[in-house]
Parts: sequence; C-alpha cells; structure tokens
Amino acid sequence: MVSNSITTASMSSGPNARDLGKKKRANRSAKLKQCKLDARREQWLSQGTAKNKGCKEEQNDGVQSRKGVNSSLKNLETSSRGEEMEGSMLIHQYSDLDSPANSPTSVTSSVLGGSTDSGTNFTGTSSGSSRSSSSSSGGYCSGNITEDEEGGEEGGGDDGCLDDWEAVADALVAENKNPCSESSPECESVAELVSSREANDGVGLGGVDLKSECPKMVLRGACGNSQAWRPDDAFRPRSLPNLSKQQSLPNPDRHYSGGAGGVTWGCNKVVSMPTSCPICYEDLDFTDSSFLPCLCGFRLCLFCHKRILEEDGRCPGCRKPYETDTVEAETSVHGGSLTFRLARSCSMIARS
Amino acid sequence: MQASRARLFKEYKEVQREKTADPDIQLACDDSNIFKWTALIKGPSETPYEGGVFQLAFAVPEQYPLQPPQVRFLTKIFHPNVHFKTGEICLDILKNAWSPAWTLQSVCRAIIALMAHPEPDSPLNCDSGNLLRSGDIRGFQSMAKMYTRLAAMPKKG
Repeated sequence: MVSNSITTASMSSGPNARDLGKKKRANRSAKLKQCKLDARREQWLSQGTAKNKGCKEEQNDGVQSRKGVNSSLKNLETSSRGEEMEGSMLIHQYSDLDSPANSPTSVTSSVLGGSTDSGTNFTGTSSGSSRSSSSSSGGYCSGNITEDEEGGEEGGGDDGCLDDWEAVADALVAENKNPCSESSPECESVAELVSSREANDGVGLGGVDLKSECPKMVLRGACGNSQAWRPDDAFRPRSLPNLSKQQSLPNPDRHYSGGAGGVTWGCNKVVSMPTSCPICYEDLDFTDSSFLPCLCGFRLCLFCHKRILEEDGRCPGCRKPYETDTVEAETSVHGGSLTFRLARSCSMIARS
Repeated sequence: MQASRARLFKEYKEVQREKTADPDIQLACDDSNIFKWTALIKGPSETPYEGGVFQLAFAVPEQYPLQPPQVRFLTKIFHPNVHFKTGEICLDILKNAWSPAWTLQSVCRAIIALMAHPEPDSPLNCDSGNLLRSGDIRGFQSMAKMYTRLAAMPKKG
C-alpha cells in the first residue's frame, strides 16, 4: 500500500499531490492502528491463556482469524469472566467512581436483574454478558478503565464485533443450558441492528447496552423493556448521562416516560441557558452556571461578580444592589431554573 | 486593564460576526486602539432625523465594562439631550444607570431610541428642550430636520 502510493506520488503531477499526502497519512495511521491492535491482541492472548480454560480457548481460536479487531470485547468478557466476582466488582466500583452517568447503568442492570421472575436467567447471563456490558460501558463513557481496552474498543466498534458477539452468545446459551431455543436467532437479529446502529453512530454506545439487553429481552418475553429501550437508543448518543440517570429510578417502565420528558426538557433548558458570562464573555464553567447571585436571574461568572462587588455592588441585570446572602436564596427560590441541580435533585429523590 | 481589553476583543468579534444583524448600526474599532470606537447610526424613521447618518465616538475607559463608555456625537444634531457643540449625550445608561451587561452595540441602540424619544426635561440643548417643553413640536421638528439635512446627509450635487 505504502509503496504503491509513493510510486504513484512520484508519477503524479502537482494537483494530485495533496490527495496522495492524505492517502499516505491514512496509510500511516492505518499501519499504526494495526500495530496497536496486534500488540493488544498479543497482550490479550497472554491474559486469556492465563485465565481462561475450556471453552474460551475455542473462542480465542475462532477470533484469531478475525484480525484481532474484536479482541478488546473478548478481552473484556473473558477478563470479567475469568476474574469472577472480584473483577466485576472492581469494574463496578470504577464506573461508580468515575462518572455519575455510569453508576446508574450498573445499578439498573442489577436492579432489573433482581426483579426478574426467573432468577436463573439472570445469574446465567450475568456471569458473562451483563458484567461485560457494565465494564465495557464504563470503558466507553468514562474511558477510565485501562487505555488498552478502550482503544481496543474503538477499533472493535467495527463490523467485527457482530460475529464476535454471536460467538459469545452461543457460548452463553450453551453454558446456561437454556431451554429457550430461539434465543440465538433473535439475538442475532438484534445484534445486526446493533451493528447497523453502530455504523451510523460511529460509537458503539447503543450497541453494547443492547447486547447486554438482548438476552434479557428474549428471556423475559421482553415487551415492557424492549419498548422502553427503543426510544432510549435513539437518544442515546446525545444524552447518555441523563438517560442513565433516569434509568436509576426504581420502577423503570413508569418513570421512563416521565424521565424522558424530563430529559428533553432539561436539554432545552440547557440550550436556553447562557453559555458565556455576559460581562466578560468568557465561558461559564459548572460553578459559574450554578451560581445565581441575584433574584432577577442574571447570571455572570464569579470573577465578574467579585469585581462588581468591589465596584458598586449592583446586579447588572436589574441594577439592584446585591444581597449578601444570595447563595441561600439561590437554591431555595431558583432551584427550578438550575438544570444541573434539578437533575441531581431528581435522582436523589428517586433514590431515597 | 486586561479584562476590559478581553471584553472589547470579544465585542469586536461579535460585531464582525453579526455585521448585518442590525442594519442601523455600524460599529468599528480604531485600527490602533481598541479603546476608541466609532459608530455610524441611521436616524430612526418617522423622526426628524430620518435619512440622516450620525457618527458617534466611543471612548472606552480602562474599567470597562464596570464603567460606561463615553459616547458623543461627532455629527451635529439638534436634540434636547445632546450638546449642540460638543456632542455630549445625556443618557442615564451612560451615567448612573449603566450596567456591565450593556455592550457598545446596545449603547448604540439606546442612543437610537433616545433620538426617537427625546427627554426635554433634562436638556443639554436648551433651545431644543425649550421648543419641546413649550409644545412647539413643529418648530422642533423643522429645526431638527434642517440640521439633519445640513449635517447628517450626504451633500447633493
């Protein structure tokens, strides 16, 4: 490839030089990617051989032919399975610590799992898929699990993960000795959906969660949950944190519609909120945007507020002098206008 | 001061970006000094200033936006709240009612509003104020129109 492009570069005339430069760059990056993937596959293989016994080996062999694109997903699943409870607990903790968005997903999965009528399903699936989903979702969202895994997953967002997942699903079915025979075809169809969606989104967010969802859907007859998840998937790339926050509500089906409404409403509010300080035009960070010094609702950054207090101490919005204890008034009176705070209080109410 | 400079740069960018947003106002910054601005504003319609183009000069203080900019008319204008000789403007938002939330653009808008709604009770131009206060609307309008034509309109060949 590279030599080809170089020769063509030397052959070609001036105007084409740019394209070729691009090609070269692309080639280089592809090569780099390939190198990384190879390294990762080796690492994973060594891990896998250390940890896996029995059926895993077959999967590994099968996957090797697929150029290691799926290695990361495998890696996650195998590692989470191999390390048993410790690994999964660690991963759960990570996701809890890293971002508030992640914790609800893991919480929900456990909650939902706990509420499933047939406990065997859940325990069976949870050993593989749900655990892996929690870990992988952690990797996607926060990127705080090791870099290898995350990078690998980006690579694994390609078409390869479909086949890989099917293999895993088959293995799962075999392991669980599940009477539900139609599970794998349905799963496949869902997986295809997933892959197409991933291709659209470029990020495999919906895909991973759906995968974890798939066995549950199939095994539970799936009406309520699948319907509740579909709109969710459409929204997912944009507002994943909020949605997963909403999912942490106790009974998902009831609260979901309300939750979705709340989310869109919240998004609108975010859009309407000023993103930069009207005084200095600097961007408002989180502290600034949750800072409401005056009852008139005029927002400004903390720096400008301080400068104004030093100068004449009047609110730029209403020209009334700032009160000294505005911070208390902020939470009580204008709590509704604070989107972030609102979202948090919602989830807190739901939890208690 | 750094803050005023940064803010003026941001305002400059904003003005460049939304040049066509307000067709009545043309704000421009001095090439060498960001604290000196000039603006061209069109006289509001249905006033004696209609059809005229008035030039404003802004002198922005170092404490901007905590302190208001000093604005004056470079173009002669017959208006009760504008000093006929110096072009000084008597406008509350340029004095005690200033708010840092105002921008140079919004000051221009306020001045256009002042042109449409003169305040004869606090006159800088006593002749103009007296005309209005005595109820001689017609006299005021003809004077203002004359000065608009003399000073704020391109000379016809």
